[in-house]
Amino acid sequence: MTVVDTASRSINVKSLLSKYAIVWVTLLVFIFLSASTDAFLSADNLRNILDQQSVVLIVAAFTTIVLISGGFDVSLGAIYILAPLVALRVQNNINSAWLTLLAGILVGLIAGLLNGVIVAYGRINSFIATLATSFIFFGIAYLVSDGTILRVTDITMREVVTTRILGLTSATWIAFVVVAIAWIMLDRTRFGRYIFSVGGNFEAARLAGVRTNRVVVAAFVLAGAGAGLAGTLNSIRSVTAQASDDFSIIFAVIAAVVVGGTSIAGGSGAIWRSVVGVFFIAFIVNGFNLNGVDPVYQRIIQGAVILTAVGADAWSRRDKS
Amino acid sequence: MDLEVRSVSKRFGATIALDNVNLKIASGTIHSLIGENGAGKSTLGKILSGVYQLDSGEVELAGQAVTIGSPREALSRGITIIAQELSLVPSRNAADNVYLGIEDHAGPWVRRGVIKDRFEELTNTSGIIVPNDRPVSALSIGDQQKVEILRALARNAEVIVMDEPTARLSVEETAVLKDVMRSLRNQGKTIIFVSHFLGDVLDVSDAITIMRDGKIIRTSKPSDETHDSLVEAMTGRKAGEAFPAKTPPNSPAPVLEVNGLTRGMQFADISFTVGAGEIVALAGLVGSGRSEVARAIYGADPFDSGEVKLQGSVIKISHPATAIENGIAMIPESRKDQGLILDRSIRENISLPYLKKLSQLLMKRREENSMVAENFAAAGIRALSSEMTVRSLSGGNQQKALFARSLAGHPTLFIADEPTRGVDVGSKRAIYELLADLARKGMAVLVISSELDEVVGLAHRVIVMQTGRIVAELVGDQISESAVVSAAFSMKQREGLAS
Repeated sequence: MTVVDTASRSINVKSLLSKYAIVWVTLLVFIFLSASTDAFLSADNLRNILDQQSVVLIVAAFTTIVLISGGFDVSLGAIYILAPLVALRVQNNINSAWLTLLAGILVGLIAGLLNGVIVAYGRINSFIATLATSFIFFGIAYLVSDGTILRVTDITMREVVTTRILGLTSATWIAFVVVAIAWIMLDRTRFGRYIFSVGGNFEAARLAGVRTNRVVVAAFVLAGAGAGLAGTLNSIRSVTAQASDDFSIIFAVIAAVVVGGTSIAGGSGAIWRSVVGVFFIAFIVNGFNLNGVDPVYQRIIQGAVILTAVGADAWSRRDKS
Repeated sequence: MDLEVRSVSKRFGATIALDNVNLKIASGTIHSLIGENGAGKSTLGKILSGVYQLDSGEVELAGQAVTIGSPREALSRGITIIAQELSLVPSRNAADNVYLGIEDHAGPWVRRGVIKDRFEELTNTSGIIVPNDRPVSALSIGDQQKVEILRALARNAEVIVMDEPTARLSVEETAVLKDVMRSLRNQGKTIIFVSHFLGDVLDVSDAITIMRDGKIIRTSKPSDETHDSLVEAMTGRKAGEAFPAKTPPNSPAPVLEVNGLTRGMQFADISFTVGAGEIVALAGLVGSGRSEVARAIYGADPFDSGEVKLQGSVIKISHPATAIENGIAMIPESRKDQGLILDRSIRENISLPYLKKLSQLLMKRREENSMVAENFAAAGIRALSSEMTVRSLSGGNQQKALFARSLAGHPTLFIADEPTRGVDVGSKRAIYELLADLARKGMAVLVISSELDEVVGLAHRVIVMQTGRIVAELVGDQISESAVVSAAFSMKQREGLAS
């Protein structure tokens, strides 16, 4: 070894393979399905995938930021249920699409603020803290809805999510915009640097003058707002919302983010990784559906695929060290 | 059990860590491996203990060629390593850690009584005593290291590789460890001592092997070597003066003024000043409160009473961010735990405290790059590009990255806590130059160091602390290693407390 620290700058085929492994695998799945399944590579099918994944992408974008900051937020599933209930109450009283969406985002934002303050200033492990607040949010969801199904009274409101622009639904476009915002925040702003530093080494970031607690709170606020928006869009699309709706989106989101290669240990990851992770899982599920695979087996295979993807990633990282 | 290494080579990517190395290590000796960072000494230790595998060559144990494919295989042949980062289970006591994985058991039940007896026997025969009544996380680093040594002995290790074992120890703990090493040697164990601390190496070794750039320069007896001859062989350069010349300022205007600073049980009634162009060293034993005082000034920890004045006016510092805004920079004690974001680039690590200035809505990359480039050069970081991750740098260059970060803020007060810990000889000299240069340019510099030669060689004034209080202040000719030591160990403080 020489005294000057050196790193091989030649483009290393192996590192390109491992760094972008999830991209290659997703492309392979795409190509395989295009070749094997007639219905896959059609405008309608791809448009549907994008439309279905729009809410997942919105939640995943900010979940990625929380994970990189070293946190974990399981309460996003509950916020995804709670926010639209408040939003639909607003819609029922003031029939305004903008105010409805705003209400949903605001509920998520407040819930995220609660999470962030508990985690940052209460020094409670974020997984446990957000598990606890999940119960609180679900409870509030039942209070808000009186345990009934809330409905969108003005059916034209669906245009918020179903309008076609350049062939894609408005929900898809909203997701694109949210993902782009998250990407820019993480990659191009001061806030993004703070997120990486806080997740990479909390104490070092603090001693370097980073207001670490505020950064943690901000990450949870963003994630809450994203989940609030996503839940509200979803309920506007289905025109109903109730407290007992399916909240499993948070599991799909975490699976996608982790499959994409963002570390749950914090400090590393990227928005594009989560986007690829979302589509990796979406393509597989779509392929199953088009080929008529029994949903029971779908789930089992899906779980195995996620384990394989994450395991392969862990293996390739271990080789490096 | 003699150990012989024959034409061993090892590469990591493009770098050659070991280049055709031949070495004999006699049984029952303390054999030191020294060299600058990257010389290959740790790599060699790790190959012998199975952490790394050699690319070519062979290792012979008692005349037999052996393969050492894993730490487990090394252990089965009686070789083990005590790494720099200890690997204990923090919540369990010493005996549990020592017998972890080799517990006496009856079926699924662990026989606690037997383990306790065996632990006592082991401590008796080895003479290594550690408290067993508390989790190891409550032990000092020195005691934790002893637990690791006991663990090696419990597994019948004959050859123990110690990788920088004294790097995190205080002076007293180091003395204890050296006694342990000697007694193990007298019991017939072989110790391979990988270290940067040449004083310890000269003191404790039976043989010293000096390495440079993956090759062995020579193996010799400590009686044939001096500190300077070792440095020369390690660096390949003539050992010049270890420290830059002192240029004390004439009646410096105080930049920092600390009055009656007190914090709970950690320190009390701390008052001192640091002037422009002055290097003041805070000396004292580990645990005397030196770092705690520095952290309080920097806003890393709160204090109960007293005041901190910067250039004449009292400042309220509740967070490091405020300290940085006020022109205070601090290099913390542990660069890995408290200093650097290891997986981010050198650039991002340098600019981190100044991002407000370097961004509006988005980061201003051009301004950031020029700030980084300027201070990257000023701190003398040796790396191909500022886009490399900090993790890939040597200890010395990592430390320089922290200097670059601090310099970028143009501070008026510069605090450096153990600035040369775990840094190779060449980088040490460079860091001393940097500190002296900062003072020459009019900065107030406060250095905390456990290395006495550093305190004596750098400081214009030395403040000695003991159990949270200042016990002595030494100026000019009064500064000597013996004066600092006698102040640090003086009973004045304890008598004062008793009366």
